[in-house]
Amino acid sequence: MSWDLFVWFALGAVLCWASGAFFAWKGRSALVYAFTLAGLLIFFAFILGMWISLERPPLKTMGETRLWYSFFLPLAGIIVYGRWRYKWILSFSTVLSLVFICVNLLKPGIHSKTLMPALQSPWFAPHVIVYMFSYAMLGAATLMAVYLLFFRKKASEVDMNITDNLVYVGLAFLTFGMLFGALWAKEAWGHYWAWDPKETWAAITWLCYLVYLHFRKARPAEWRTACWILLFSLVCLQICWWGINYLPSAHINSMHTY
Amino acid sequence: MWKKPWNLKEGFLVGGGLLVAGLLLQVTIGPINWDLFAAPVNYVMLALLLALVGAMYLLRRKVYAFEWMMHFQAAIPCLCYAVGLTILMGLTPQTRQGGIPWLSQMLQFWPFVLIWTWMMVIAGLATLNHLLRWKWREIPFIINHLGVFLAVTCATLGSADLKQLEMTVHGDSPEWRAVDEAGNGQEPGLAIELHRFIMDVYEDGSPKRFASDITVYTEDGKSVSGTVDVNKPLKVNGWKIYQYDYDARRGPESEYSVFMLVRDPWLPAVYLGIFLMLAGAACLMFFMAPKTKKV
Repeated sequence: MSWDLFVWFALGAVLCWASGAFFAWKGRSALVYAFTLAGLLIFFAFILGMWISLERPPLKTMGETRLWYSFFLPLAGIIVYGRWRYKWILSFSTVLSLVFICVNLLKPGIHSKTLMPALQSPWFAPHVIVYMFSYAMLGAATLMAVYLLFFRKKASEVDMNITDNLVYVGLAFLTFGMLFGALWAKEAWGHYWAWDPKETWAAITWLCYLVYLHFRKARPAEWRTACWILLFSLVCLQICWWGINYLPSAHINSMHTY
Repeated sequence: MWKKPWNLKEGFLVGGGLLVAGLLLQVTIGPINWDLFAAPVNYVMLALLLALVGAMYLLRRKVYAFEWMMHFQAAIPCLCYAVGLTILMGLTPQTRQGGIPWLSQMLQFWPFVLIWTWMMVIAGLATLNHLLRWKWREIPFIINHLGVFLAVTCATLGSADLKQLEMTVHGDSPEWRAVDEAGNGQEPGLAIELHRFIMDVYEDGSPKRFASDITVYTEDGKSVSGTVDVNKPLKVNGWKIYQYDYDARRGPESEYSVFMLVRDPWLPAVYLGIFLMLAGAACLMFFMAPKTKKV
């Protein structure tokens, strides 16, 4: 599989996802599942192809992590649709996925076969994949928050129930990702936590979602504040994921630069 | 304000008080010197922390603040302060010394440490509260809070006993001298003999694998032979030996290999905390998430 083929796989997948989103508005759930899953299959075929041709998991560069993010977003969307029949979620997840696909088309990054020894570990794939799935879940939760705050301007118990569930699953995977990273760091670098800038921002992000969780328990009626906490948390998450490369603190000595 | 029940506002004030107290300590005593916490001091500190949490729990009916501290109303402001201070840390380049006063050595900054300690006290109290009023369905809650308490507390107190030494071994003779992070000479009580430095490169010359065939001799007369790879350390007498570096200018022809020797007596306690947190995260998803409400 070569990167040049990405545009075609992406086009096919996005067309499927968009059709799925369209049929969600029409209430044709069988077609929603069929199209969304077909899109996921097409997209995953490309990831798998890259994995085989690179002879390593495609998780090294920023572009490669965006690939997984674009894949997991519609997956999160179809899970929410399956459980709550929320008809607009697939439109949102498709658009957001498309944004990340476009970023990848404009800024493909380098996809060489080389994988430095520090990354050659059984922890590599679970650490990054779990994180990307978590980011997609928390991204979907943020889509909910944006929708409730700025479009609907009100929130029912069911709306917040969906948001909460997305955050619980997202936070669980965020914890897995962080702790897998810690266990891996012990094997690779000698210590499980070194307050490397990436680790510091991972801790910040994790704490932010803990604030959300506790706040929802304490003040279930104040959904607006809860949604704003989610927006703030997502900013921290993005800093952790890629924004960190633009911070002065990371340039000095981050071990997470690849 | 300060009328019972206390709420978030009181929590933010208590946190603010801790910040002020921390700043005063920073100005008067100076940054925290974690070396002073080396064993047995850290064991005593852990015992004191546990005693403090226990005493606060027992006095909860007498002192309202302790009762309040077991609940969300205290946890939320505390977490917010922790987020704020940790963001400061994330924005400031962290250095061993120099840089921006106070902020560049955040781990030694009193307000940061006090807020995180407060967080651990709250987590400890919440754990104890649920442990002693046992209900089976609260197990996920206990696992999560106990896990965080153990992992963070033991990682912090244990850091004083953590040894990370660098040892450069040449091919011609065994080496027993190492240097610590501050550059001081240390003798870890074992010697390493380098038999062969192994290196594979990709087509573009970037390293694919670097490793060392070594024999480790210990003071008690043992000798252990093996290959140390990146991501595959060798364990000898409580030390973990990591492949760390080599002569980058000579690459595969490097005549020496650099190892990192790590000893962390508190690791099992931290790992127990980490495994509890992993189990807790699974619980979060399967048991703690609110039940699905249908549209």
